[in-house]
Amino acid sequence: MNAVVTPEMIGQVIISGVLSGALYAMVALGLALIFGVMRVINIAHGPLLMLGSYVTFFLYSRLGMNPFLTVPVAMAALFVVGMLLQRTLVFRVVDAPELSSLLLTFGISIALVNVAQNLFTSDLRAVEYITGSWTVGGLALSRPRFIAFLFALAVTGGAFLFLKTTRLGKAIRATSQSREVALVCGIDVPRIHMLTFGLASALAAGGGALLAVIVAIQPEMGGVWTFKSFLVIVLGGAGNYPGALLGGLLLGLVEQLASLFLTTQLSEVVAYVLLVVVLLIRPTGLLGGRQV
Amino acid sequence: MRLRSIACLVLAAAVAGSSVPAGAQGPIRLGASLSLTGTYAKLGKNQHEGYQLCIKELNAKGGLLGRKLDLVVYDDQSMPPTAVRLYEKLITEDKVDAVMGPYSSPVSEAAANVTEKYKKVMVMPLAATTSIFKKGRKYAFMVISPAEGYLEGLVDMASKRGLKTIAVVNEDTLFSKAAASGAVELAKKKGLQVVFTEAYPKGNTDFAALLTKVKASNADVLAAATYFDDAVALTRQMKELAVNPKMYGVTVGGDLPEFYDTLKQNAEYIYGATQWEHTLPYPGNQEFFDTYKKEFGHEPSYHSTAGYAGCLIYAEGVKRAGSLEADKVREALLKLEMKTAFGEYKVDPDGFQTAHKMVTFQWQGEKKVTVWPDDLAQAKPRFPTPAWNQR
Repeated sequence: MNAVVTPEMIGQVIISGVLSGALYAMVALGLALIFGVMRVINIAHGPLLMLGSYVTFFLYSRLGMNPFLTVPVAMAALFVVGMLLQRTLVFRVVDAPELSSLLLTFGISIALVNVAQNLFTSDLRAVEYITGSWTVGGLALSRPRFIAFLFALAVTGGAFLFLKTTRLGKAIRATSQSREVALVCGIDVPRIHMLTFGLASALAAGGGALLAVIVAIQPEMGGVWTFKSFLVIVLGGAGNYPGALLGGLLLGLVEQLASLFLTTQLSEVVAYVLLVVVLLIRPTGLLGGRQV
Repeated sequence: MRLRSIACLVLAAAVAGSSVPAGAQGPIRLGASLSLTGTYAKLGKNQHEGYQLCIKELNAKGGLLGRKLDLVVYDDQSMPPTAVRLYEKLITEDKVDAVMGPYSSPVSEAAANVTEKYKKVMVMPLAATTSIFKKGRKYAFMVISPAEGYLEGLVDMASKRGLKTIAVVNEDTLFSKAAASGAVELAKKKGLQVVFTEAYPKGNTDFAALLTKVKASNADVLAAATYFDDAVALTRQMKELAVNPKMYGVTVGGDLPEFYDTLKQNAEYIYGATQWEHTLPYPGNQEFFDTYKKEFGHEPSYHSTAGYAGCLIYAEGVKRAGSLEADKVREALLKLEMKTAFGEYKVDPDGFQTAHKMVTFQWQGEKKVTVWPDDLAQAKPRFPTPAWNQR
């Protein structure tokens, strides 16, 4: 019953895959940072993203701000929220067994979703800012998704530059490599943990702010992003930051191509089968784990 | 001693006196779980308000069987397993006197297993899937038109205008699947060629690949069995990918005012199906619309009205049965023929709705205009739908 797949269709779908892949990479980089530095799997990553979306929604609908200009605001706001969460709660489980951190962040995640339901209600919200597409060589380039893609590239690039070149970024990477050695070298490890959590939350929030112009916003929108980010960092190699980029792009492409050649329903199945295959062949992920 | 016993007597008399008119039984407690949060929150809340208004009006008229009514509602987060647990709780722990249906077909399907087990009559005002009522259940009652008929108007109009091909997509859940398969069946019957069908998972946000295939199929008509957020996402991406069918229709969600608020002029020309419009000439319809708007500060959707009507229908069943006993109420509901603000009610021996009618509307100039069936139509459809870049 399905139509024959033409090269144009494949091109179209690859564009969509790359566009969403960059967003996956950006959001997943946050999860990878937290895991790399603290060995904590942050289940609340998706709900933090959701909060970012609401920042954009309210700034757009109440103050009439350009939604793309709200991205730095959402990131800054959630940077603070992330640091507070780390300082008050997450620091308690940094050295605890993994199950403790899973439980704690799961709890935070439920709390955030319920707070959002109470404060913002469960009504679906949308930021109707820019629609339609540009046509490039017969292929459609979605305007909101392409602008979001550019922002995601800029933010992710900025994050990498920060990690590579600044003193603080180097300190984060050093802590990620070995906490003990970092401590011996005079790095204030608890402070690095707090800043890392803030930075990761900001990355999630940036993703949420960009998503706001693409999808409907509601308190439970984040859950699927926790899972996707997790999938991305395991694919790329947990704790490996460039791996998050590769994993993100890969997931975006696999989802779209599977939707095209199989069905939309099967695209998630294919993504998880891919995960299993990668884990069987390279248990540490495509780029290996924890090289910084 | 004496004084004390007198005081005691007075007190006892006072207590007895106050409880006698209420039949010494207290209010009838009506339990339901509703999708107050989660995917179906918007629609579930409207249904909740429909229930509330119905209970309020019944109580204002003296209640039911001489007793007041109380509504006990829990939030099932739009999840069938949660609803199952909540109906168990309502029936076994809270011991409510009667139950009303939850929102949506998948949740109703799950909850009906519980109510059937405990032999509770359940009028399910927002369950539109035929199969729910064709499994030999004895106590399930349907209020709205079946899911299979949602896209009938779209298909019928398309075939009358000489369109040849149709693509059908749907969310992979009970109701949407039924609506899609109904559309496919009907299209075949009317001589349309079904050139593409595909389901997508609940919560899907990226329809690029799906729509690329729809575009390649060159279908004249796109029929989408949707809820709210997927209908919005589909429409946005159709514009992005320049998918230009001559007619495009959705099922649920398309009739909400939020649909237009969200999509703005991109919602123009889109067809939607609805179980109810406040402009339809049903008894008490306009009054219901006005009261509801005053009570809750926004307009009712058909979910509100179906909830309201479902509750009235159950109450009428109890009134005719003269009792809350399940088997008697069941008999009464099977025989009942009733016209409410929501339209007609009459069921077959399975509790399956046979009298209620669907209408198809089109968004024209920021308004929903009924365009099908002909005898209820307010205007002609704006046909064909122009390409996105020619608007």
